[in-house]
Amino acid sequence: MFPFVNTAYFQIPAITLLSASILWLIYITTRYLRNESRQQQRCLVDQINALLPQTQCGHCGHPGCLSYARAISTGAAINQCPPGGQHTIQALSDLLNETAEPLNPSHGNHSEPLIARIRELECIGCTKCIQACPVDAILGGTKLMHSVIESECNGCDLCLEPCPVDCIDMVPGFTGKQWQWALPNRSDAVESEIGEQV
Amino acid sequence: MKTEVYCSPQQHSQLSQHSTGRIMLWVIAACLPGIAASTWFFGWGLLLNILVVMVFAVLLEAVMLKLADKPVKTHLADNSALVTGLILGIAIPPGSPWWLLFTGICFAIVVAKHLYGGLGQNPFNPAMCGYLLLLLSFPLNMTTWHLPTDTLFADQQFSPLSWTSLQYSLQLCFPALAGDGSQISEYIDGFAMATPLIEYKLAGNSTVLAALENNSPLFARASETGWEIINFSFLLGGLFLLFKKIIGWQIPVSIIVTITIMSLLFYEQGSTAVYGTTYLHLFGSATMIGAFFIATDPVSAATTPGGRVVYGIFIGIAIYGIRVWGSYLDSIAIAVLFGNFCAPLLDHFCRPRIYGHSTRPSQ
Amino acid sequence: MSLLSLFHRSTNRRPSRNPGRHKIHKIVGGIKPAANKARSLRSRIMSTPIPEMLVLPLLQHKGTPATPVVKPGDHVLKGQKIAAADPRGVPVHAPTSGKIIKTGQCTLPDAAGTLVSCLMLASDGKDEAIETGLSGDFRNMSKVDLVERIRDAGIAGMGGAGFPTHLKIQTSTASDIATLIINAAECEPYITADEALIREHARDVVKGAEILQYVTGAQQCIIAIEDSKIAALAELKLAIADSAIEIAIVPAKYPAGSEKQLVQAVTGREVPFGEFPASIGVLLHNTGTAFAVYKAICESEPSISRITTVTGSTLKTPKNFHVLFGTPVTFLLDLCGIDRVLLSRIVVGGSLMGNCLHDMDAPIIKTTNCLIAGSLEEFPEPLTERACIRCGFCADACPVNLLPQQLYAHCRCQSYQQAKDFGLIDCIECGACAYVCPSHIPLVQYYRASKSVVFQQQTDRKNSEKWQSRFQFYQYRQKRESEQRIQARAEQPSHPQQIAQAVFSREKARQEISEAVARVKARRANLIATSTLSSPSLSSPSTEPDEKP
Repeated sequence: MFPFVNTAYFQIPAITLLSASILWLIYITTRYLRNESRQQQRCLVDQINALLPQTQCGHCGHPGCLSYARAISTGAAINQCPPGGQHTIQALSDLLNETAEPLNPSHGNHSEPLIARIRELECIGCTKCIQACPVDAILGGTKLMHSVIESECNGCDLCLEPCPVDCIDMVPGFTGKQWQWALPNRSDAVESEIGEQV
Repeated sequence: MKTEVYCSPQQHSQLSQHSTGRIMLWVIAACLPGIAASTWFFGWGLLLNILVVMVFAVLLEAVMLKLADKPVKTHLADNSALVTGLILGIAIPPGSPWWLLFTGICFAIVVAKHLYGGLGQNPFNPAMCGYLLLLLSFPLNMTTWHLPTDTLFADQQFSPLSWTSLQYSLQLCFPALAGDGSQISEYIDGFAMATPLIEYKLAGNSTVLAALENNSPLFARASETGWEIINFSFLLGGLFLLFKKIIGWQIPVSIIVTITIMSLLFYEQGSTAVYGTTYLHLFGSATMIGAFFIATDPVSAATTPGGRVVYGIFIGIAIYGIRVWGSYLDSIAIAVLFGNFCAPLLDHFCRPRIYGHSTRPSQ
Repeated sequence: MSLLSLFHRSTNRRPSRNPGRHKIHKIVGGIKPAANKARSLRSRIMSTPIPEMLVLPLLQHKGTPATPVVKPGDHVLKGQKIAAADPRGVPVHAPTSGKIIKTGQCTLPDAAGTLVSCLMLASDGKDEAIETGLSGDFRNMSKVDLVERIRDAGIAGMGGAGFPTHLKIQTSTASDIATLIINAAECEPYITADEALIREHARDVVKGAEILQYVTGAQQCIIAIEDSKIAALAELKLAIADSAIEIAIVPAKYPAGSEKQLVQAVTGREVPFGEFPASIGVLLHNTGTAFAVYKAICESEPSISRITTVTGSTLKTPKNFHVLFGTPVTFLLDLCGIDRVLLSRIVVGGSLMGNCLHDMDAPIIKTTNCLIAGSLEEFPEPLTERACIRCGFCADACPVNLLPQQLYAHCRCQSYQQAKDFGLIDCIECGACAYVCPSHIPLVQYYRASKSVVFQQQTDRKNSEKWQSRFQFYQYRQKRESEQRIQARAEQPSHPQQIAQAVFSREKARQEISEAVARVKARRANLIATSTLSSPSLSSPSTEPDEKP
């Protein structure tokens, strides 16, 4: 062909360079694939559970979020969780490749985060709410005043039913949500599923 | 006083390169020296091409915007259809019939741009997509350059800028105007090459230098300096864009440097093989247009600085490779499309290091 | 990836072109907007007349709000402490003498218009100052004392972030500070407060810098100023003539005055992600803060005022003011001769990072460095956002070396994991990218909105993990208790014996009760017999239940 290309001065560096590039490409690809597989190794139930809000309220019909996660992994509907709201349903649908249905209203509606508050003057110290609370957020003992530790309460409202004197209210908690910027309105944008805010 | 809440920054740059419509206008302005040179040497064909394609481009863009329910006037104001039309008009050989131009620009604007989502969403350079469609579908038309002269650089029978020349260009573009068509064949000679790149036998010496040695004026049509002057003009336009900071230096410089290196590496003087000099590759062909105007289309190119350098290298290798070892005459379109394929990968890998981070963040 | 490092923007280039001065390193990106600073520097700093009503928010900085130590109706003197703070906050002082009218609520001059509680002070015009202790040479005082005095004076960072200065000093003394940088590089357009301060009080600023250097134990103190501030530079050179402080002249580029970028420009090193500059031995303080420290230590004056630039094209006489905290914004605007017909927007801060103000009665607080009363021509309506054409001008302008075009794409699609990967949290929201974007995309708004969502998601995830672990403990505890119950039941005797025991104990109980009743009856009979009064209520033992429902 051409004289320069025939010489060793060209061929040896060229072949070294070429093989180095090919090896580098292989290295990049294997590293990328290894990262992907590592993520899939994590158990599916754990991945689903990590997306659920962990209120353990039982509104979905299962006793606790882990149990619901197990049910989802065997095919239960993903739209049963009111505290999770639509964004949890969207996250689950992204994970499992299922359609994101709207929240099932028979289990309740998604509301702003609430916490329980006991009217201490009316409390009789029966400890029924303490036994019901799944995260041990109520402080108290028999015949002693009961109080909700507000920073630990997750708003599951499982304590409302057992209370014989109905002295527990659900009040809006301090969510730390202050005024914040919203995504800009794109006035001429064509509405698409990706662009909608959940 | 207004009650809306405006997010910072409260002001916006007023420089011309910070407004899309004005950027596109400057790109068109930068092409004007090259177009003027081409008109001077080879007649009205190129100018007519560009005008017709631009008109079609704007009409098609307006139709597509209407179909997509977007406000037509504000979107046409970003002048992107004009630039696509300009590039395609330069690429298609002068003297092509109007239906060829229409097919090309239709594919470019409708399919390659709007069916992907409009401005900013197309992964491939629309003008080059249009050109490639035409190249594959109408190979004879696309490889026949009609020049209003007998042979390429011989004695002229009439000035390229004359009324006669204009008439013939119009008749080639709109054959319906020709009447019986006999006048065309009398003066037009088909010339089945895009640029003198393939005239490798003539290659090696710059015709500009030859003209200077012979003391013939550079702009005389007989001194055969046409192609090179056109390329110098496009280079000037490109440097102007660089100076105005409308395009980044990474893509043009890496393309030109790569082609220079490759042509130096593989050059062989005096042989009958196809390898021309570096000068030929840079100035005897469409490299300047490709490097400064076609490959720098921001939407389809790589967007990170490092990615752009590698993008330019890939395109340079592809241009040289396809020209020299491939079967297409001028390979800018295919090379640029090849680069467009690689651009997302390059964007993913060639990310700059963020302040305060020691290595690139994990994937 | 080392091959690709060839394409990374280099951060350390050749040394400064100023021989004899401190070496300056190059910073990446940046823009050069029109400065718009000349108008407000034409005249000297003016002291404002004392307004009739001062509104003093109890939270003027980042941290916890202060608690008032005065009641409505109290008469206070200038400089008197009117609200005390916990160790993590700074107290509030009365800027002038007068009467506390009431406690109420006011809006802060920030983007959100946050409502905070405040004290309203009606000035009596006499401006009587409180008696202060003598101030001596700061070198004779211990560092702990100095920090306490700085805290007591209520000094918070005046550059815009408002972090309590004593906290900054205390957290930084844990690590060795090699360099103290006084940030006089006011890079943002319109703001000239620090420049005016240096022009007129350069020596005081230098003294304050020396105090800060002594307190923090920094080996080196550098005042960083932009090269376009020529008059201020001349004053500064005179002022540092007999001190060990150096000047670093940074090229006038926005945002050279941002904390991380200034550290890079002056020292050539980068602040690692997620850490403070103190972790690499650098500490920054604003010029206004240094001046306030000087006032507090050498003149015993607490933090009751600051220099604020009031400018904009709707004002007849824009200038810098020596403003008392609590002065309403509208008072200052009137002093400058505002044309309310032309007024379109009031911006608090500079034109690139400032936010709109809606409540003209909002007070000036410790972090208000500039007010721009702009017309529609100066601040036009933002143009419609267009499609991103991936031109990369934003990436060229970004001082943190991010890829704003990619960040934008991910924020718009709400793929927050990808956005974090591209450096969403690194973004300093300087606005350079949105300033240059040809498609007029409001990039900073996208990033701010996405950051809120990301932080909310982080909080939610922390809460979920906390509740999950508490629930797991709850389940473990239930299991443990039921096991204990089973075990206790297993240790008890078998069934027939249990019944026998129960029966036996019931019998025994009945017997004991009847014996007790008999005893009581006998005692009562004795009482009736021995006493002359009859007590019919004691005839039968009371059987009313004591317990309430």
